[in-house]
Amino acid sequence: MDPTRQLIDQILLVVGIAAYVTGALVLFAHFLLRTPVLRAIGIPLAVVGCVAQFAELGARWWMTGVWPLTNLYGSLSLFSAVAVAIFLLFALRYDLAFVGGPVLALAAIALGYATTWNEGYMPAVPALQSYWIKIHVPIVISAYASFMVAFCVSVIYLFKAWAESRYRARGATVRGAAAGAGGPSLDVAMHAYAATAPGITRTDTPAIADAAAAGDATAQWLAGLPSLARLDVLQYRIIAVGLPLLSLGIITGAMWAKEAWGAYWQWDPKETAALLSWIVYAAYMHLHTRPQLRGTFTALVSVFGFITIMFCYLGVNIWISGLHSYKM
Amino acid sequence: MEAGRRAVTDLIRLFANIPFGVSLLATWAFLTLIGVVIEQGKDAAFYAGAYAPPIARLIVRLDLDNIYHSPAYIGVLGLILCSMTAATFTKVIPRRIPRLNPVKIDAIPLHAQVRVAGDPASVRERIAAFFAERGWQVRKREFGGTEWTFADKSNWARRGVLVAHVGFVVIAIGTTIYWAKGYSGQFSVLSGQTATIPENGVRVDLHRFAYRIDPVRTKSGVVYQPIDYVSNATVTDRQGTPHEAVIRVNQPYDADGTLIYQASYGFAIDFQLTKDGRTIPVADHPLKEGEGFLIDGTSRAIQYTRFVGTIDRVTGQPGADPRPNDPGVVVQAFDGDRPSGSALMALGEPLDLGAGYKLTASRYILYSGFQYRYDPGMVVVGLGAFVLLAGLCISFYFLPARLFVLVRPSDGAGSTVGIAATTVKGYDVFEDRFREIVEALRRSEATADVHEAAPVPALGSAL
Ligand code: HEM
Repeated sequence: MDPTRQLIDQILLVVGIAAYVTGALVLFAHFLLRTPVLRAIGIPLAVVGCVAQFAELGARWWMTGVWPLTNLYGSLSLFSAVAVAIFLLFALRYDLAFVGGPVLALAAIALGYATTWNEGYMPAVPALQSYWIKIHVPIVISAYASFMVAFCVSVIYLFKAWAESRYRARGATVRGAAAGAGGPSLDVAMHAYAATAPGITRTDTPAIADAAAAGDATAQWLAGLPSLARLDVLQYRIIAVGLPLLSLGIITGAMWAKEAWGAYWQWDPKETAALLSWIVYAAYMHLHTRPQLRGTFTALVSVFGFITIMFCYLGVNIWISGLHSYKM
Repeated sequence: MEAGRRAVTDLIRLFANIPFGVSLLATWAFLTLIGVVIEQGKDAAFYAGAYAPPIARLIVRLDLDNIYHSPAYIGVLGLILCSMTAATFTKVIPRRIPRLNPVKIDAIPLHAQVRVAGDPASVRERIAAFFAERGWQVRKREFGGTEWTFADKSNWARRGVLVAHVGFVVIAIGTTIYWAKGYSGQFSVLSGQTATIPENGVRVDLHRFAYRIDPVRTKSGVVYQPIDYVSNATVTDRQGTPHEAVIRVNQPYDADGTLIYQASYGFAIDFQLTKDGRTIPVADHPLKEGEGFLIDGTSRAIQYTRFVGTIDRVTGQPGADPRPNDPGVVVQAFDGDRPSGSALMALGEPLDLGAGYKLTASRYILYSGFQYRYDPGMVVVGLGAFVLLAGLCISFYFLPARLFVLVRPSDGAGSTVGIAATTVKGYDVFEDRFREIVEALRRSEATADVHEAAPVPALGSAL
């Protein structure tokens, strides 16, 4: 690449990282302070970072003529860009700005780590010289990115559920029919609460609500977080984007494998690790159909699912060699 | 007899249970993880070298070295299919495709009441029109003299689970067809030689194998990047008809339904051994990496471990360039089973093995490695995969919801509309939508003189 092109590449990369880091800080501040102006600043920063990253990937392709997703640098760049894009789509549709801090922070970390793998221009090895790379890789990366955003929501869910149990343990009185909220599921308790107290703003964290009403500042902050039910629905909706994408990713991977390696399924560590994540998220979906299992348990499965995704994405590349290490 | 039937019913109930199904999925995931972590398909010596002895023994005894084809793995998949089938018939079909029944409106978390002007019959008509206009499928039923109105959205999507489950079964069928009727394998051919696929007699004459590896300057130095591998061959099919074939990575050759793929390549070496100047016969063919020969009349053996494209003339060590410029080979000597030393030797330069023995690697010949596979179940697996994907999309993106509407005469004038909603995914997921519907209904009925609307409890947040 000539120096001017390299400079364009560098500038876009720096803009992307800078936008994510500042956006993460601003949206974390929004998460803590709930100031609408912070959201109004943070979301455009996320947009700037995301656009800069897509532009950087596009520019690389245009300048070198080589599809940019043939190495970990390109793939991690796309991962952070798509994670931010999915966050933005959900933020616009479901008011998800509160997870912007962790999402942008993880995107910045992924992009920062990606730069350590940035070797500049590299032609693709024979196994990667296929039109399938343009189909399979973006789909799989988008699936990973969705699970990353879902993971952030799950962590906030678990945090709020944990805070609720702490407040309950502290002996905050549980109001009304929600007295049974320590039972099998917060979800069930919430419905009981809603059924007996229609017409008032319902909460599925009654201990936090009581402490907030009693003037506890932390509880007041916690009460302002979306309800557990809402976090659960958001997490479900994002995983419902990720799972079909992962399925399609596995299917297109199998189609490519048929062409490149002779069999659509070779039990290669990478494809098998993707299957492992697929099974975990399929289990999540099944658990989520049962009201008594929906909630903390499914949020934990989502967190576990993302750990398997990270294992599949980075762990397998680093620790285990196989066909996906692209050695011939 | 009765006891037997009860046992079967209990078994079906157990299998149809979601936690049971999920624990099977967890077992499947766990076995899969073992397969990812433990390298598969190696021989016992590999595991003995890589793991502590008790673990190595466990791996071999429990089939963990070939886990995906082990009885445990296949058994768990079989149990998952049984569990899924039991759940489909006893749970999914009755639960997902429920009959129209009256409900206790107030007992459903998503419920509201709207008091409107007009007698129940006319209100019922207006409500039916209201929902029909908005794309709801409206049906009326009478239960014990009380007329109920039911409105369904995306009712067809209730079958998404069935589609997904069927997709999974179809994939399993396709895989079974391959196990029953398909075959696969690998072979390698030296340039100028011939190999035959044993299962179908297809013959491959390799004229030439070529590769292209380019030096690429990167930030951390020059790397040698493979660019192309290509085999020029004549493939003679079962009928004896020869076909010229160019086989590349990502471009397999189809010989009567058996696909032949470019999988690997290597450098075969002609070795010569002399003792006190006298030639001693070694292998009758050029050796590929990993192959070796015994030295006649001794307990010693020589293994050709690795080809080195370029020996750095200054250091005498393997250079970074894999292309044969100043080529050499790494050989390993064994005395019995014990390795007794290894050496990097340049091509054409004899290596003194002691006791009068001299080994020479005289020349290299490129060979091409192929995989082949005949898979008559592939189309079925592909079909199953797309059915499964369609099932997932239907299940996740279309939310079947049912509204239950009961119109009763009010105490004063007018009517009270009781309305409740259920979905296949609980209540929370429909809450916002339900609130909008009730609001819209309230507004549309405003012209008909609204007396009161009970708000839906809100799950709002400050964020
Ligand atoms: C392990 C054995 C399985 C059992 C016992 C089982 C059972 C069930 C049941 C009972 C439901 C409906 C839940 C409800 O309506 O409340 C369901 C939903 C579903 N199942 Fe399965 N299933 C199994 C395996 C699978 C597999 C392997 C797949 C993948 C193809 C799958 C895909 C689905 C999908 C997509 C849904 C819909 C989930 C949703 O709507 O959120 N199931 N399953």
